[in-house]
Amino acid sequence: MAVKVLILEDNPVARSFLCRVVRESFSDTIAITEAGDLETARAQISLAGGASGLHGVDPFKLIMVDLELPDGNGMELLAELTHYPATKIVTTLYSDDDHLFPALQCGADGYLLKEDRFEVLVEELQKIVRGQPPLSPAIARRLLTHFRQGGRADRGAPDSGFSTSPDLLTTSAPVPIGKLPDHERLTPRESEVLTYLSKGFTIKEIASLMGIKWFTVNDHIKSIYKKLNVSSRAEAAVLATKQGLV
Amino acid sequence: MAVVAPPPAAAAASAEAPPDSAWVDTAAGLRRRQRSRAPAERVRRLLWLGLLGAALLALWLRMLASEPHLPLVLQAASGGRIVLMASTDPALQPAIGQALQALVLADGRRVPASAALLPHSPRWVADDTARAALLAQRVLLGQALRQAAVTAQFDGGLQLAIVPRPRGLGGLGAGVWAVCALALALYLAAAVAILDQPGQAALVYLVLAVAQGLNLLLIGAGSLTGLGAPAGLEQADLSWRLAVDLVTAAALVHVLLLYPRRHPAATPAAVLAWAAAASGLAWLLLAMPPGLWWWAQGMLLAAGGLAVLLLRRRRGQPRHPLARLLQRLVLTGTGSLLLLSLAMALAGGTVQGDGAAPYHLATLGSLAWSVFLASLLMLAPFLSRSRQLLREFALLAGVSTAAASLTLLFLAIFGLHPLAALGLALLVSLGVCVAARPWLLQQLAGPGPRSAERMFDSVYRTARALEQSPGQAAQQLARLLREVFDPIEVARTQRAVSQVRVAADGSTLVVPVPQLDGQGVGALVLRHAQQGRRLFTEADAQLCGRLLEQLGSAVAYDRAVEQGRVEERARIAQDLHDDIGARLLTLMYKAPNEEIEEYIRHTLQDLKTLTRGLAAGNQRLSHAAAEWKADITQRLNAAGCSLQWSFSTDHDLTLSAMQWSGLTRVLRELVNNIIAHAQASQVEIGVHLDSGRLVVLVCDDGIGQAPERWAHGLGLGGVRKRVKLLGGQVRWLASGQRGIRCEVTAPLPAGPTDSPAEGAPR
Repeated sequence: MAVKVLILEDNPVARSFLCRVVRESFSDTIAITEAGDLETARAQISLAGGASGLHGVDPFKLIMVDLELPDGNGMELLAELTHYPATKIVTTLYSDDDHLFPALQCGADGYLLKEDRFEVLVEELQKIVRGQPPLSPAIARRLLTHFRQGGRADRGAPDSGFSTSPDLLTTSAPVPIGKLPDHERLTPRESEVLTYLSKGFTIKEIASLMGIKWFTVNDHIKSIYKKLNVSSRAEAAVLATKQGLV
Repeated sequence: MAVVAPPPAAAAASAEAPPDSAWVDTAAGLRRRQRSRAPAERVRRLLWLGLLGAALLALWLRMLASEPHLPLVLQAASGGRIVLMASTDPALQPAIGQALQALVLADGRRVPASAALLPHSPRWVADDTARAALLAQRVLLGQALRQAAVTAQFDGGLQLAIVPRPRGLGGLGAGVWAVCALALALYLAAAVAILDQPGQAALVYLVLAVAQGLNLLLIGAGSLTGLGAPAGLEQADLSWRLAVDLVTAAALVHVLLLYPRRHPAATPAAVLAWAAAASGLAWLLLAMPPGLWWWAQGMLLAAGGLAVLLLRRRRGQPRHPLARLLQRLVLTGTGSLLLLSLAMALAGGTVQGDGAAPYHLATLGSLAWSVFLASLLMLAPFLSRSRQLLREFALLAGVSTAAASLTLLFLAIFGLHPLAALGLALLVSLGVCVAARPWLLQQLAGPGPRSAERMFDSVYRTARALEQSPGQAAQQLARLLREVFDPIEVARTQRAVSQVRVAADGSTLVVPVPQLDGQGVGALVLRHAQQGRRLFTEADAQLCGRLLEQLGSAVAYDRAVEQGRVEERARIAQDLHDDIGARLLTLMYKAPNEEIEEYIRHTLQDLKTLTRGLAAGNQRLSHAAAEWKADITQRLNAAGCSLQWSFSTDHDLTLSAMQWSGLTRVLRELVNNIIAHAQASQVEIGVHLDSGRLVVLVCDDGIGQAPERWAHGLGLGGVRKRVKLLGGQVRWLASGQRGIRCEVTAPLPAGPTDSPAEGAPR
C-alpha cells in the first residue's frame, strides 16, 4: 500500500520541488496529495478520516505544511491536527525561532528550510521521519526558557530578537497552567543537551562532551519535542479558541 | 527576567550617597513639618489666633484712647524753644506758633518747657542725669493729667487753662495705628510659623515676635499725639522696654541655637542665655547702674554678636545655606543697632546745649530700628519659600538700613531738620540701592539657574541618554540636576515621593525619579544648592517639576519614534521576505544550472540576513556565535569539510542589527568562498572578543595561494566593504604549507545597555 503524503504549499514550483524531495527520500511507493491552501488541505484530511484520524480509513503518514498560505497560517492546521497520527513537518523560508517555535508548539515534528539544497532537504526529511528532528541554537534557547518558566511567558523570552514581528501569535497571552507536571518537565540530561545545543554544539560534539552515544542525544531531543508538544497543548487550544478555530 | 541583577537603584545609592545619609531619609521621609492637623483645621486655628491678637490690640488701643492727655502738639524750634504747633482745643488757637514756657499745675508746681516734653522714651536717653530729669518730668506730667485743669504759660505772658481729656480713637495719631498694624502682622507671622511647623524653635520664635510686638506697642504708646503718656507707663516705660529688648536678645540667641540646625549644646546654652538676660535685666532695673543705657546697648550688641557666632560655619559639616542668610540678617540688624548707638553717643556729645537733636535722633532712630527688626523677624520664617520674596526682602532691607543710617548720620553730624534729613536719606539710599541692586540680588539670592540655552542642552542630552538606557534614569537625572543646581550632595533614596518638594527649610530638594522602565521608584535628594551658597525655593521645585515633565515627554516621544521605526522596519522586512523571498525561491528551483542555483541561494540567504537584521532588535554576541557555528558546521559538513570552532569573549555585548548582519554576512561569505574554491578538508574558525576588539580568524587547508593577487569579485569585495562598515580591517595571508588565513578585526565597544550583570551568558 502506498504511503500517503499531504503537501500543503501555495507556490506550485516549490510544491513540485517538495514532491521531488519526498519521492527521493523514501523507497516506498508514495501517493502525494497536493494542496495550495488551507481549505483544500482540510477537505483532503476529512476525506482521509478527519482531523482526529481515528476512523482509520487510510490516514496520511506525512504532512508537510507551509506556514504562509493565501487563506491563513499553516499553524492553524497544525493546531487542528494535534491528534492526527502523522509526521507533521513545517516547510518554510523562515529560519528564526520566532516563527518556528510556535509551529513546534503546535505539534510539528520538525521543520525544513525551503532554500536548502535538494540533497540537504532529502537528508533532513529522512532524519525527521527517523526521529532525528533538527534543533537550532535559537530554538534550543527558546525551549530552555519555555521549560524553565513552566511553559509560561515564553513569548517574552529575552533576546529572542523578533519580539516586534507582526506574527499572529505575538498576542497570545501566557496560559496560566502553573507548574508543569513531571512528565512535562525536562530531565537534567535533557536540559544539558538543550544547553549545549543552544551554544551551537553539534549532536556528535554533545555526545562526546556528555560521554554518551549520539543516538542517546537524539533520543533526548525527541523527548524534548514530545514534552514541548504536551506542555503546549493547553496553550495551543487557547490559541485556537482565540482565532476562532475551535 | 531570568537573571536577577542587583537593583540598579541600590547600586546608584551606594555610588552616590555618602555612607552616613540619615539626612536623606529625613528629607525624603515624612515631612519634617508634621502636618498632623488638616489644612482647614490649621486655617481655623490661625483665624482664632488672629482674632485673639486683634482683640488684645483693640483693648490696648481703647485703653490708649481713654487715657487723658493735654492737646498740645509741641515741636523744638531754634534756640531751644518749644513751640506749640497745633492743638485740637479751640481755646488754644491763639497760642499756636508761640513758644511754651511752662505748664503750671493747680497746686503751683511748674513743668518747665524743655525737649523732655517732646514725645520721647527714657529708654533711649544715653545720659543718666538727662534720663533722671525726664523721668521726673514724666511723673509730674502724669500728675498734671489727673488734675481738673492745667495752665499753660506761653511767651508774651499768654496764659491758657487746658483741661486734660481722653484722646479718643480718632486722636491717637497715624503713627500709632501704623505701628500697631505692624505689631499685629508680626504676631500673625509668628502664628503662621508655629502652626506650620510646631516645635521648640517655633515657640521661641513666637516669644521673640511677641517681645518685638510689645516693643512696637510701647513705641506706639510713646508717639501718641498730644502731651501725656498713658497712666502707669510714665516710669514703667523704661523697665518695659528694657525687658522686651533683653527678652528679644535672649530669644534670638535661643532660636539660633535650635535653628536652622540644632546646636549640640542647645539646651544648656539656651538656659545660660535666658539666665544672663534675666539677671542683666534685674541688675539694670534694681541697681540702676550709672551708664544704664550703655549697659543695655552693650548687652543687646553682645547678643547680636553671639548670634552671628552661632551661625558661623561649623567644622566638619557643610553649612546650611539658611545659616548663611540668617547670619547676614543678624549682622545687618546688629550693625544698624551699633550705628544707632554710636550716632546717639555722638549726638549726645556734640549737641549738648540744644537738646532737641538727640531726642529726634533717639525717637526716629529707635523707631526705624525697631520697625526694621520687626520686618526682619516677620519675613525670616518665609525666606526659604520663594526666591522672589528673598529678592524683594533684600531690597527692602537694603533700602531701610541705608535710609535709617543716613538719617541718623545727617541728624547727628549735620544737625539737619528731621524731615529734611529723612527725605535726603531716602533719596540717597534709593540711589545706592538701585546702583547696588544687581550685586545685592546676586549676593543674597545667589546666582539663578544656568542660561536657558545650556539648560536646554542638558535636558536634551539627558533625554537622549534616558532613551538609550532607561534603567539608568536615576544616574542621568542626578547628572542633570547637578548641572542645573550644583549641589554639594546628591543621594538616592528608595522612598516613594509623589512630587518635587523643598525640604529642610530650603537646604534640600527632593526629586522623584521618573518611572521610565517600571523599576525607577525612589527619589533623589539634593542638598545645598550652588555649593551651599543658595537656598532651594519653591521656584526651584517648580523648575524641577517642569524638567521632569519635559524629560518624560521627550522620552515618550523618542519611544514613540523608536516604536514607529521598529514597526516600519519590521513591515519592510516582512514585505521583502515574503515577496522577494518567494520569488527568489521560485527562481532558485527553476535555475538552469547549479551555479546559478547556488548564486540565488546565496542571494536568498543574504536577503534573509538583511530582513532579519531589519526586523530583529539587538542580539547577544554569544547567541549570534552559536548560530554562526551551527550554520557553518552544517554547511561545511555538507561540503565534506570539518570545522574547528573556537569562541571566546571577555564581555558578552549586544550586537546592533548592523553589526550582527555585517558579521553574519562576512562569515558566510568567507565560508562560501572556501566551499566554492578552496577544496579544503578542514576549516578553523575563531571568534574572539577582547577589550572591545573583535578578531575573527578563518583558516583553511585548501589550495588557495598568494591571496594578494586575488581578484576581489562580488564575494570578497563584499567582505571588505562589510568589514569597513564595521570600522575594521580584513587581510588574507597564505598560511604555512597549505591554505589561506583570513583575519578580520573590528572594534566592538560595549554599548550603553551592556551592564556587566546582564552581560553574563544565560
